Amino acid sequence: MLGDDLRNGTSPALGAALATIRARYGSRAVLAGTGLSAAGLPTGIGGVDGLTGCDGLPRGRLTWASGELGQGWFDLGLAILARLSISLPVVLVDFSGRVDPNDIEAYGGDLSNLWLVHPRRPEQGWAAARALVEAGAGLTLMVADRWEPVGRAAPATLLGAVESGGGVALICGGQSLPGEVTLRVAMELECQRLAWTRVHRDISGIWVRLQVGRSRMGGGGRSCRLRIALPRPYSPRAGVVETELETEGLTAPLEASG
Amino acid sequence: MNARGASSRLACAIFPHLALSLAWRAHPELREEAVLVGPERRPGGGEVLLAASEAAVASGAVPGVEWRQAVISCPDAARLRVEETAISDLRWELRLALQDLSPMVEWVDDTRAFLDAGARDLRWPTEAALASRLGRELQRLLAVPPRVGVGQSRFTAWAAAQATDPGRARLVPPGRAPHFLAELPVEVLPLPGAVKERLRDFGLTTCGDCASIPLPLLQRQFGPEGLLLHRLCLGRDGTTVNPWVAPPPCGVRRVLAGPVEDTEVLRFGAPELAAELAAELAQRNLAAGRLRLLLGGEGWESWELISPPSPAMTNEELLPLVLSLMARVRRPVEVLELQALDLGAPPVRQRQLFPTGGDRREEIERAAARLRERFGSGLVWRVAVRPEHPGDVPEERLVWRRA
Repeated sequence: MLGDDLRNGTSPALGAALATIRARYGSRAVLAGTGLSAAGLPTGIGGVDGLTGCDGLPRGRLTWASGELGQGWFDLGLAILARLSISLPVVLVDFSGRVDPNDIEAYGGDLSNLWLVHPRRPEQGWAAARALVEAGAGLTLMVADRWEPVGRAAPATLLGAVESGGGVALICGGQSLPGEVTLRVAMELECQRLAWTRVHRDISGIWVRLQVGRSRMGGGGRSCRLRIALPRPYSPRAGVVETELETEGLTAPLEASG
Repeated sequence: MNARGASSRLACAIFPHLALSLAWRAHPELREEAVLVGPERRPGGGEVLLAASEAAVASGAVPGVEWRQAVISCPDAARLRVEETAISDLRWELRLALQDLSPMVEWVDDTRAFLDAGARDLRWPTEAALASRLGRELQRLLAVPPRVGVGQSRFTAWAAAQATDPGRARLVPPGRAPHFLAELPVEVLPLPGAVKERLRDFGLTTCGDCASIPLPLLQRQFGPEGLLLHRLCLGRDGTTVNPWVAPPPCGVRRVLAGPVEDTEVLRFGAPELAAELAAELAQRNLAAGRLRLLLGGEGWESWELISPPSPAMTNEELLPLVLSLMARVRRPVEVLELQALDLGAPPVRQRQLFPTGGDRREEIERAAARLRERFGSGLVWRVAVRPEHPGDVPEERLVWRRA
């Protein structure tokens, strides 16, 4: 039976063909019909951890926090990175060129656990992410305002490295991803800005709704609201300061104050 | 004789220590200053001075002395530290550049190298052309002008390099070594101090003085070192270089039934090639730092090269690389040979029961070093808060360094 061969790999010819397909299109291009599940890497942000269904960002998977500029994904990504850098080596691949390490420190991050990648070309960033994941990076955050096309091998090999090492790859930014990357994303978290919070005339924070969009791990449609205090000289604390899991129908925008 | 003949000819290049060159590259304002580079930790314990500028050496800080002693000898010197990975990267680049000039290259230490200058090469029709190119290549990579000497023996070539100014080459024509060496003081001869002391006692102060003494008399006085002395002074000492030898090749070769142009067909055979190479690497317990795909067709040969971000050993690691190499094929191919290059110890893969951050950090640092080798030094960065940062000016709080 074909199904048995797929599951067991008993046919040598079929095994060779599967190996070729998986090498070219990623190790998850052909699956044997079993369900997808993953352990989670807790971020310490209750709303995010409760949203994904695995008590954190899924290990061994690619997760995408999507949204237009200004929708909160940038600071959410930095806040998660900063939290995890306290206990794990983390990598930030900055395709956007906008990351300021001062902000990571302001979010409570440990800079001694951070490796910052400034790629000149997209291929460099993807290759660096893969190499550092293989080397043991606990979280790899990739940030871009707009994603450039990339060869099919780059996301496939990154996913392979994440799968084999049990690390977490979080892709932040953009309303769309290159097709080769989209194929390999296990979960999309849609970021939507609900409101700014202000102190006097300065924007001091942001309310964000995070909603599970496409997901191969279930939980589609679940959402939460987060308040992120942005790094400001007068602010005693930056980071995600409030989270709240939403129930269906509770979507009214918040009028927040600093 | 200007044309390069078949007689033994050696070129010697002398340059500042690689660590010092790197330190100067980072701090060009210190070119004329006293600079101490180090400390270097020795396996038996203790820290020693790795390299020093001429001004520091003149104050008594000679490379190899204890670091504390060097600091005491030259207290006003700038003290700089250079990463060992940066030195090894530069050493690798230099070795590759020199091997492009001559197939026989001996890397003596991080301050000098010898090349076989006797081999015929159409690119360098004369010794002067080779010496000039050698100097330019070293200056390009080191950003410091080297001294180059060419002679019939190792000592002659070294002495010629020592006798010239930085950025210049000195050529000692064949047969002229005794005349060139005649005025050299015996102190520069690579002989034990006791031998040189006795030479001075005899009133023999230059190589020319020693060369005029018959060999039997020198041997009677100095034994085997008398013979060496005689050869050194006449320019007849060692005439060979001890080239670095790469480990035996590791590869898989396939001869196809006929010319194949369709890369899809070639890629179908990639898993088999990768699997065989992985088996061979596993048998030797080695990992490949680079992969080369040699391609042959009717009347042509070429090769494609790829450097994985981390050394590859397993089938899963090799297969994407092989597929990438095969995608570059543009002509009908009849022969394929997949070679593993830069063989080294495989990366540690065993899962640790209680992984510690420190171990992972070291592994990530190594991966970052490999990325730097592949993509350049500006790709991966580390950031730290400056310990004595002035106030809270954000731009001045952080120190950036290349990972």
